[in-house]
Amino acid sequence: MRDALFMGKLTASATHEMQNILATIRESSGLMEDLLAMGGEDFKHAERFKKGLRVLAEQVERGMALSEQLNYCAHAPEAGPAGADVNEALRALTGLMHRQAARSRVGLELSPGRTGLRTALRPVEVMEAVALAVEAALGLLPPGSQLRLCVEEQGGLAVVRLFAPGFEALRETPAWTGLSAQARSLGIGLSPGPGGLGAVLALPRPVA
Amino acid sequence: MNTKDWKILLVDDEHEFITTLAERLDLRGIPARVVFDGESALEAIAADEPQVVVLDVLMPGIKGLEVLERVKRSNPHVQVLLLTGHGSTRDGIEGMRLGAYDYMMKPLNIDTLIEKMESAIDYARKSAKAGQ
Repeated sequence: MRDALFMGKLTASATHEMQNILATIRESSGLMEDLLAMGGEDFKHAERFKKGLRVLAEQVERGMALSEQLNYCAHAPEAGPAGADVNEALRALTGLMHRQAARSRVGLELSPGRTGLRTALRPVEVMEAVALAVEAALGLLPPGSQLRLCVEEQGGLAVVRLFAPGFEALRETPAWTGLSAQARSLGIGLSPGPGGLGAVLALPRPVA
Repeated sequence: MNTKDWKILLVDDEHEFITTLAERLDLRGIPARVVFDGESALEAIAADEPQVVVLDVLMPGIKGLEVLERVKRSNPHVQVLLLTGHGSTRDGIEGMRLGAYDYMMKPLNIDTLIEKMESAIDYARKSAKAGQ
């Protein structure tokens, strides 16, 4: 826990620095764009130049998203009296696991669900439990599948639902046993989804 | 919109970022002074009161929120736009509580910044008139 908080502090500081770097790149490329718009008609490579500036802008956006997700991770081990916002934790997690899923040729997305639902767990605990479930699914789903996560409310509890075609086989694998043990240790209820499809993680309710 | 008579002060310790932003504003006919820390910001405001200060929250020395507090005490008509980083909601809300006009997250969209500047200047003029 102390290790995680220490690493989080260092990482959070580095993400602020990354943000300043990205902001400077955006302003510099914005200035080039301004100057090109003011007198670039005679510039032979104007179109190629504009394309380069578009790429820079896209990459800054990409860097920003990653930097925000890393910043969220950096603070995720911290315990707060209000617990974790489940949707925020899953947004950071799906963003960061996107590349891992892509390597398995599985699409990973967070469906629009309920926002503002909270749990007594720390953000890192929500992320770890859901990441275990996602990793187990990635080892099972055929290439080309789409794995969806959704946050819902059931009986006053925040519930994370994972669903994908063919996912029901997960419960027959050793990964399910590991996931069950992890879920139990965190007070998370683990069950198959409606109709036996997917998995549902019912998170402990926030402390009133 | 006549921007030539706008009085803007930009404050950030990221030299390249803030000087480039000033250059881009200048290309749009918006003059802006630039300083790189909180102490210099307070001196610049005391010497020649701007209408709007664009102020970074995270700076070495006097922090942005402290500069904001001091400016709102000494020059209440000056409107402050905060530049925040990650965790912007917390800093931004705290800044609004301390009297900031608004806040924006880096990297900036220059058109949005200019819109906010215009709206802050309008508000500053109205509040100065009401205070006369």
